[in-house]
Amino acid sequence: MITFTSFPSPPQTTAGHGRTKHHPAVEEDVAMDLDEDELSPGGSRLTCPGDSITSSQAFMRGHGTYVENEEVIASVAGTVERVNKLVTVRAIRTRYNPEVGDLVVGRITEVQPRRWKVDANSRQDAVLMLSSVNLPGGVQRRKLESDELQMRTFFEEGDLLVAEVQAFFSDGAMSLHTRSLKYGKLRNGQLVTIPPILVRRLKSHFITLPCGVDLILGLNGYIWISKHVKENDQEGEEGFDAEAVYSNQNDDIDDATRNAISRVANIIRVLAAHFVPLTDTILLEAYEWVMDQEIGTREILLEETSDFFVAAMTGSRD
Amino acid sequence: MASISLSKSEKSYIQTSLTSTPPIRGDGRSLLDYRPIALEIGVVPLANGSVRLNIGKSTHEGAGGTEVLAAVKLEVEDVVNGDGVDGGRVVCSVSCSPAAYPHLSSNALDDLSYDMTTVLNQTLAHPSLRPSNLGILPKKKSWGLHLDLIVLADSGNVFDALFMAARAALWDTKVPVTRVVEYQAKKGGAVRQDDMDVEQESGLDTRQVSRAVDFELPDYWDEGETLAGQDRWPVCVTLNIVSPIYYLDATLQEEASTPLRLLLALSFPKTEAPTLKASRLLGPGEVELSQIKALVQDGEKHAGELFAALEAKLREEDVRRNQKARDRFILR
Repeated sequence: MITFTSFPSPPQTTAGHGRTKHHPAVEEDVAMDLDEDELSPGGSRLTCPGDSITSSQAFMRGHGTYVENEEVIASVAGTVERVNKLVTVRAIRTRYNPEVGDLVVGRITEVQPRRWKVDANSRQDAVLMLSSVNLPGGVQRRKLESDELQMRTFFEEGDLLVAEVQAFFSDGAMSLHTRSLKYGKLRNGQLVTIPPILVRRLKSHFITLPCGVDLILGLNGYIWISKHVKENDQEGEEGFDAEAVYSNQNDDIDDATRNAISRVANIIRVLAAHFVPLTDTILLEAYEWVMDQEIGTREILLEETSDFFVAAMTGSRD
Repeated sequence: MASISLSKSEKSYIQTSLTSTPPIRGDGRSLLDYRPIALEIGVVPLANGSVRLNIGKSTHEGAGGTEVLAAVKLEVEDVVNGDGVDGGRVVCSVSCSPAAYPHLSSNALDDLSYDMTTVLNQTLAHPSLRPSNLGILPKKKSWGLHLDLIVLADSGNVFDALFMAARAALWDTKVPVTRVVEYQAKKGGAVRQDDMDVEQESGLDTRQVSRAVDFELPDYWDEGETLAGQDRWPVCVTLNIVSPIYYLDATLQEEASTPLRLLLALSFPKTEAPTLKASRLLGPGEVELSQIKALVQDGEKHAGELFAALEAKLREEDVRRNQKARDRFILR
């Protein structure tokens, strides 16, 4: 089946050239005199590139801003944030800004002496040290020279893994660790990529949907959707099974689960395209709604269905 | 081929899903479904014909999908001294934007653009497809048709996109109408000595020497007639073969886990039977000759569907474009 569509026509820019246009929500804020209260951390304010934020005499410019004519001006579209006298703009479309303790999903790009380089959608590749992974033979085991020689048996180029941000190097690159049974190599599923800003910090980033699908919401915007693994089937601390942890072999996955994985992937794609932040509740609701309406996996992506679907999702939250 | 890195388990997941019954794809399509294709002609104001094409653009986001921009520029070429060919010629070139392949080095990117250029140029510049109205002055001047394509983003199935964009851009191309100018000696004027020589010799000379020396453009530069043989420009279907099945319109992930791809470029002339213009096998996989036959037959069917859908869309775009031009005229 082949369908042809047209590109959406560009917005008409006939009126309002003379003055800057703002989103209705911020129109009043902009019209008001800029004072200190407005930049309070409580209320969020959106900017467009070129919007003047405040006077540069009272405030310092931070990331996403520049100074011109003694005014601090936003250089990106995003939300204004202020710490004391420092004004920054957090961009909406940006790479992932790591913080210690974040859960990320990454892909190995390079194997180097005693370390792996991991693509985690950040500005630089992350580093996973050989000393920060669990190796077969127990947690307390010392790393031997032979381990360094067979690093590719643990992770090789292209492998996906889930890890936690442990620390930062002096150049700003993040260091990851997988020293927990929850972390490690990923299999039995597929990856979906969304803008990192859409993943909220949650109590748990491991979500199990009732359709037999596990989700790992990486804070870097990489989302792993896989077949559900039962708690007690996970590799235990004592019988740390190297073959299972570092295996490249998929389990048997039945068609229903594969369909569910595809469906969840499409739901996430549609929500991301409509810029809806992902949480565990919205995903659960979305999946139930799609099942109730008996929408096919492919149909979710169609324009009318997706608009209808997102309207139903965002409406029910209010 | 350029492909993103994929872990072994992802590859095996995709392969098993594709070969299971019924087959399941990552985005819920069936094996023979295409993603939605967005197309707009006449996007480059200074080109003789242009198109922007996107396969698999996500509905609201600006990004996503394989995006190709194609433009045709006609240049007058000298057959005698320049590199023109009598009767006109077609030259294709494909360049890949580094943004489409951020993981490739500039050398690898050049190689990739060269590969794509070769496939397109060998197919479209073939003498059997040459439009008949590219000549200006016989044995002196002709149009050189330069078709340039840019891959702005690649999310799989780039060859189908390139061929479709090429066909649409050539469809959109308007060749300026030319009129031949001849110099005639004034009646009763002094005839120069060297002209006399020619006159004397011509009794023995059987060659038809055209007297035309130059040409003029009766129309404005942006008016003209469409290229001859519009219906013959081929479309391409890529059959991605994961034995024993094949599927169409692979995403980047699916492409990376497919061992073998068969490109078939078919032309569907109005009056004649469809002809296969080019075929390529890409990838490390193997296929038997007996299978190829069946695959080519299937490919012809799918290409026919794609051709018909593209044809309908192009006609619709032509109408839309004329409408837009009229509106602008009224405004003026």
